[in-house]
Amino acid sequence: MRIRKRYLFYILALSSACASAASAVVDTVVAHEFIANPWVYGLAFFLVAAPLTLLITLIISIPAGKRSIGARIDPSFRRIRFPRKEELLYQMLSALGNAAFTLGYFLVMSRLMEPSVVLSFSQLSILYLLIVESVAEKNAPTMAEVQASLIVAFGAILGSISLSGELDMEALLIVFLVMNPGTVLFAEYQRKLKRLKMDGRPNDAINIRLWNLVFTTFFVFIIVSAMDVKLVAESITASGTALSWISAGVVVTFFSIVLFVRAMGIGKASITQAVRASSIIFAIPFFIALSYIIPDITFISDPVLLLIRTMGIVLVVMGVISFALTEVKAYIFIRLEPGYPVTEIQQKIWEIKGITSVSATTGCYDIVAKARMRTLGKGYERIIRELEKIRGIKTFEWQTILKEWEEL
Amino acid sequence: MIKAYILLITYVGNLKAVLEELRKLDHIESISVVAGDYDIIVKARVDALEDLMTLTDNIHAIKGVKRTNTQVIEKEIEV
Repeated sequence: MRIRKRYLFYILALSSACASAASAVVDTVVAHEFIANPWVYGLAFFLVAAPLTLLITLIISIPAGKRSIGARIDPSFRRIRFPRKEELLYQMLSALGNAAFTLGYFLVMSRLMEPSVVLSFSQLSILYLLIVESVAEKNAPTMAEVQASLIVAFGAILGSISLSGELDMEALLIVFLVMNPGTVLFAEYQRKLKRLKMDGRPNDAINIRLWNLVFTTFFVFIIVSAMDVKLVAESITASGTALSWISAGVVVTFFSIVLFVRAMGIGKASITQAVRASSIIFAIPFFIALSYIIPDITFISDPVLLLIRTMGIVLVVMGVISFALTEVKAYIFIRLEPGYPVTEIQQKIWEIKGITSVSATTGCYDIVAKARMRTLGKGYERIIRELEKIRGIKTFEWQTILKEWEEL
Repeated sequence: MIKAYILLITYVGNLKAVLEELRKLDHIESISVVAGDYDIIVKARVDALEDLMTLTDNIHAIKGVKRTNTQVIEKEIEV
C-alpha cells in the first residue's frame, strides 16, 4: 500500500496528542487525590514507569506469528535490547531533558491543577525548536515562521487566563526556564536517536523509550534525593498507594511517546511538535468528563472565559499547524565537469544545509540531490548560491516537487 | 540492493492516469510530481538489475508515458 507519508505522519502525531491529553488528565487526578508533593509524585512516577515499561517491552517482544507484537506498533522493532555505545550520549541528553521537563511539569501541575493551561504553555516550546533550527541552518526565520510563532505565543497567553485574572508568575518561569528547554533537549535527541541506523534498519521507538525512562529515573532520583533524602522514602510509599493510577498514566504516556518518536522519525522536530499541539484540544473533553467524576476538580463555568480560552487554544493549534504546512522539496540533477572526483563533490553538496540526500548515479546526470526548505526563496539563498560555489559542477537542473507519495 | 531514480515524461493530459497506475507497482520507494523538465520522478528499490528492467518495462507499458530516463544510484548519502 502506498499512502502519502503526510497522512501516516498526521495519524501518528494525532494519536500521540490524544494519548498525551489523556495522560495529563491522569496526572491531574493523581496530583489532586493522592500525592500533593510534586517532587514525590515525580520520583514515584518514574519508579513505577521504568519497571512497568520494561514489562510492556518484554511482553511485546513475544513473537506472534511472523513478527513480534511490538512490530505492529513500530515496524523496526524486533525485541528488547541494550542501548548501543553510539546511543548512550543521545540517551543521556534526552533523559536529562525529560527529567527537567517532567519535574517542571509536575511542579506547575500542582500549582495550577489544570492540564489545558499547562499544555498550552508547553506548546511554546515550538518557539525554542524554531530558534534551534534557525541557528542550526544559519538563516533568519521567514515571515510565515515569525507570524506562526506570534500566533502561538498570543494563543498560549489567552488560553491560560484564569478566572481571577491572575497570572502565576512562578509557574510561568518554570514553564519557560525548565519545562520548555527540557522538551527541546528531549525532542531533539529523541529524533537523533530515531534516525540512527541499527544493523541497517532504522532505530525503533520502543527501545528508545524504554532506555530513556531508565536514564530519566536515574536523573530524577539524583535530583530528588539531592533536595531531601526523606522524599525518596516518601516516593516509594506513594508509588504503592497510587499504583493503579500511576500505572494507567505510565501506559498512556508510553504509547503517546512511542507514537511521537515514530512521527519524529518522519518529520522535522518542530512539525511533529506542531501536530502534537492539538493535545490541548483533546484535553478539554477529557477534563470535562473528569470534572463530573471527581467533583473537587471544577471546569470553567463562566461562558466568556470559556470563549477566551477556546480562542486561545484554537490560535495555538492553528499557529503550530501553519508551521507544519510550509515546506518545499526539490530534486536537483547535476552534471559534472570531467576531471573532478565525484565523491568529493558529493560530500561538498551533502554539507549544504537543507540537502536531505545526495546520490552519485549512472546515466545522463552524475549526481541527483534532494533538498528541503521552507520557501523557494530560501532554496535560492541557501542551496543554489552554495551549489554555484562548488568547483566541478557543470550544470544543474532544479525540479520543484509539487506532490509526493512515499512507501512506508 | 539496487536503488535508482526513474525520470518520466508523460504526454500532456495523462499525468493523473499515469500516477494512478504507478501507485499500483511494486519496488517503488517514492513518487514525486515535479515542475521542471520532467513530470514525475520515481525512486525505485530492487534486489537485482533484472528487477529494475521489469519495473521500467512495467512503467513503459503504462499508457501516457512518453519517455523514461533511468539513473542507477552508485553511492547515496541520506539523512
